[in-house]
Amino acid sequence: MEGFMSIDIFIIILATGVRLATPFLLAALGEMFVQRSGVYNLGVEGIMMMGAFAGFFATLQQGSPLLGIIVSLAIGALMGLIMAFVSVTFKAEQGISGIGLYMFGWGLSGLLFRLYVGGVTSIDGLKPIAIPMLSDIPLIGQVLFNHNVLVYTAFLLVPLSGIVLYKTSWGLNIRAVGNKPEAADTLGVSVVKIRYQCLIVGGMLAALAGAFLTIGQANMYADNITAGRGFIAIALVYFGRWSPWGILLGSLLFSMADSFQSMVQVLGINFPYELAVILPYMVTIIALAISYGRVWAPAALGKPFERGTRG
Amino acid sequence: MVEKIKQLEMSGITKRFPGVLSNNRVNIQLEAGEVLAILGENGAGKTTLMNILYGLYQPDAGEILLNGKQVRINSPSEAIELGIGMVHQHFMLVPTLTVCENVILGLSKKFFVDLKTAAKRIKEITDTYGLAINPEAYVWQLSVGEQQRVEIIKALYRGANLLILDEPTAVLTPQESNELILLLKNMAQQGNSIILISHKLNEVMAISDRVTVLRDGVVCANVKTQETTQEELAKLMVGREMAPCRREGNYSPGKIVLELQQVHAKGDKGSEALAGVSLQIRENEILGIAGVSGNGQKELAEVIAGLRKLSSGNISLNGKDSTNMSPAEIIEQGLGYIPEDRIHVGTIPSFSIWENLILKDHHRLPFAKYSLLQNRKIMSHSSSQVEKYGIKTPDLETPTARLSGGNIQRVVLAREITRNPVALVAAYPTRGLDIGATEYLHSKLLEARSNGVGILLISEDLEELTSICDNIAVLYEGKIMKVMPVEEADERTMGLLMAGIA
Amino acid sequence: MKKKVLSLILAALTMLAFTGCAAKPAAETAPQKTDGEKIRIALVLPATVDDMAWGQSMVEGLKAVQKSMGEDKVEVAISEKLGNAVDAGAAIRQYATQGYEIIFAHGSQYQSVLNDIAKDFPKTTFAYGTGFATQPNIFAYDPQAQEGGYLLGILAAKMTKSGVVGIVGPVESGDAVKYNYGVQQGVAKGKADVQTRIAYTGSFNDIVGAGNLAKTQMSAGADIITGSSQQAVGAVRAIGETKGNYWLSTDMDQSSIAPDHVLASQVYHWEKVVNKIIDLRKQGTLGGQHLTLTLADGTIEFKYNEKLADKVPAEVKAAVETAKQEIISGKLKVELPKK
Repeated sequence: MEGFMSIDIFIIILATGVRLATPFLLAALGEMFVQRSGVYNLGVEGIMMMGAFAGFFATLQQGSPLLGIIVSLAIGALMGLIMAFVSVTFKAEQGISGIGLYMFGWGLSGLLFRLYVGGVTSIDGLKPIAIPMLSDIPLIGQVLFNHNVLVYTAFLLVPLSGIVLYKTSWGLNIRAVGNKPEAADTLGVSVVKIRYQCLIVGGMLAALAGAFLTIGQANMYADNITAGRGFIAIALVYFGRWSPWGILLGSLLFSMADSFQSMVQVLGINFPYELAVILPYMVTIIALAISYGRVWAPAALGKPFERGTRG
Repeated sequence: MVEKIKQLEMSGITKRFPGVLSNNRVNIQLEAGEVLAILGENGAGKTTLMNILYGLYQPDAGEILLNGKQVRINSPSEAIELGIGMVHQHFMLVPTLTVCENVILGLSKKFFVDLKTAAKRIKEITDTYGLAINPEAYVWQLSVGEQQRVEIIKALYRGANLLILDEPTAVLTPQESNELILLLKNMAQQGNSIILISHKLNEVMAISDRVTVLRDGVVCANVKTQETTQEELAKLMVGREMAPCRREGNYSPGKIVLELQQVHAKGDKGSEALAGVSLQIRENEILGIAGVSGNGQKELAEVIAGLRKLSSGNISLNGKDSTNMSPAEIIEQGLGYIPEDRIHVGTIPSFSIWENLILKDHHRLPFAKYSLLQNRKIMSHSSSQVEKYGIKTPDLETPTARLSGGNIQRVVLAREITRNPVALVAAYPTRGLDIGATEYLHSKLLEARSNGVGILLISEDLEELTSICDNIAVLYEGKIMKVMPVEEADERTMGLLMAGIA
Repeated sequence: MKKKVLSLILAALTMLAFTGCAAKPAAETAPQKTDGEKIRIALVLPATVDDMAWGQSMVEGLKAVQKSMGEDKVEVAISEKLGNAVDAGAAIRQYATQGYEIIFAHGSQYQSVLNDIAKDFPKTTFAYGTGFATQPNIFAYDPQAQEGGYLLGILAAKMTKSGVVGIVGPVESGDAVKYNYGVQQGVAKGKADVQTRIAYTGSFNDIVGAGNLAKTQMSAGADIITGSSQQAVGAVRAIGETKGNYWLSTDMDQSSIAPDHVLASQVYHWEKVVNKIIDLRKQGTLGGQHLTLTLADGTIEFKYNEKLADKVPAEVKAAVETAKQEIISGKLKVELPKK
């Protein structure tokens, strides 16, 4: 028990929390764009797996994590395109298509790994980059400014997504399409085009989240490496009420709780481990239950768009 | 921007939908500064015609000429570029966006949205026409009338000088309607053209310069408004002489079929909506409930139908205490119910017509035997109902939601009346219906009355009440102000009672 | 119509992707009539054949048997990624129907499905582990993980500089608890004031989670870390990126992942268990025995990473060796956690 909650431990918990929040942040921000446009993509987990594998494989082959990031973005875009094709063009039921995409991503990533890699193989992933000056600030420096490039990217994407969503023409179109597609349609905003774009962006960010797991954290690949993180990301979109700052809050809440419970276990504090490991989920569910209200959801979420036919 | 629209001509427009010929060689013309009303009953093809002009549909045949030149309008954005704007009956606004955002939606081609410049231009427009609106307000915060103004601004912002309005007053209060009429006249005077789609004769008479009457997809008249009368237009629209329904025969009520004693009930917000209502309805009687809506009408209908709990009091139906009965038991006791929300409460919108027609009797003979639906019996029953009640539908399998409002009301009416109720509660049964449908409904209610049914008719329309009711009660703030024979119910007395002055 | 076709294509693609990796080994060995000489063995795994842990150690055991008896004498079929006991049950039943004589269901979670299936195939031998409950045609195998854990614990206590030994556990159950308890006793025996800190991820296969937990262990002071289950490779990798920290592996020798960080291993030699089951079956015993893996019978091996062996002082090696001999001779009994 000695020294528990000393300042050092506190910094470790916070810094770890920031790192753990990254994949959730990336995937959830992507899914936020998708849902804002009126589609829900339950295939995030599958896209993450593909992104994780693609990033890992490219890094393994070429020794460049940067190339890994690029390849995983491309694969993510492709997976998003598949989802768009099925759920927007063919108007398939979105829940089922998403689950299909998840299973497809899982199966395919496992298959490719077995065919082209096989066995536990390590890579040299992204290294932390301490930002000059900023990382020397006591406390905050270690918590915020000594991470790898994807961590910075994820956190920078929060305000950036906010600007895109609320200040740009594209963001305006997205919000309109997700809330009242028929209105957007009558004003010449292509519902189909916007939804395609959002699914592709969402796919890219989900894949990036996956790549973070392989080239930013584990530095290796294993089957089912995402272990449900994609589904948590989807829950965080609801938690965050489809806003970047809400998602940031949710991701941090979940990850800080996770980081905290790990430390509690490691320090041998007398606390049942079963409760410790579910702590992040519990905190998130409770926060969600207290704050949840349907009114925030994009009104056209889950509804395929069809022009009316009544005369 | 392209040249201003001086003249529009649509000629020979034909549009077919599965099972329906919606427009059949329709011709219309319009000059700048003119207000053209397109008059027709629900389903006559007015909206289809305008959707073609706005690029939402492509005609199967015919052409559109603007300033004498033929144009093809493939999409709403092309229509907008040509200077055509449309205000839909159901507003095409995104409630979660601000007025300003709604107005510039689809226009902003730059990366960042420039809301400031847009707000300035909106102000110019609103100043020109005297429209007051706050560009920063969210649409969901606005009243229906204000939302309509946003729609008009949206069209003007896009440079529209031909404005199509689809049933613009259907959702407005009388005061808002008057404001709109003034606005449209003002816009026409400034050189804009306006097409008004409507089935309301009085507004057509009030605004338009010319009227084109559509019936079953065909133009059946094109007249100057000044040279016609409301009666003539009604006749043209419906296609036959209109004889307003009047109750006939003497008032000879039988025994009491529905009785309310000191009924108290709470509204949705928890405040007292019914404050001691006592009423009696007898066989062969139509009792009208007059009053401004929101004074407990909805709750009154619901407590009788068993859909809302009473806080205290008693209701008896057909001689039995029905106060605490479930809706199913009340139906069993012989209550018919035409609810205010005919689409969502009166029917299950996604169900087919035959399903909705047997909704209350699907579990018993002749429609079900040993819990199995008897398809042949159901279909023959349904098709005879469709014929008898004149329900216009491609087939029995069509989802009820696809029908027009009048036809949905016919489905509800067919189901409720065929069940031979002892008493019938009808809440705003003609709201939103065109003249033909209204007339039909009145005749059916009167027919039920002469068959002995006791009817409670809730309505805001005094003309409706005085023409078919035997007695009229005025409801004000959850209390019955007075019950009187129809002969005593003149407009002045009623108006005072409805305002709560006894 | 279009939609249906599309769903079918997607479904087919998905199936393809899955069968491609999940049941490929099974497909390679299509049913063929045994000539009486050849013995057919099937293996069902919760994770993968190359997990560098529990699953792979058994696969290598089977391969060793195949090699020693001859490829023509032993046929091996494997289905992996069957963490869900119901899916695994389907695979097991299929193998039994196809006439495989010995079926290994390599996980304690398969016990109950095996009980159901074994009744229908009384001539087939089934085996599962970790476990002890048996049936007339079911063997239960049971590595005494605490024995190697004890030795690794002694090593850890004597090698740690920070005085903290960390455990990255999966889920607090069965094997992991046994192993961790052994490590704890060993550490306590090795040096009185060294702490053992146990933390669990709550999952068996979350390698990222295991890596993160290992990082937390190290940041909180542990410099020697160990842990069981297939997710452990994530922790090994995380330690491999640091300086001055060591990992102790169990189930398999994991030194290939981090050659400069894996100090020693507890290795299971499944080939001996497999051979024993084959022999018993030949003698007419189809099941009913509880087979343990122990240091004494050589099915558990304690092994140093040769590359790092000279980093371990001789007196430490001697202490470990003494304890090992005491366990083998039965003089020392490593305790099991009381239920």
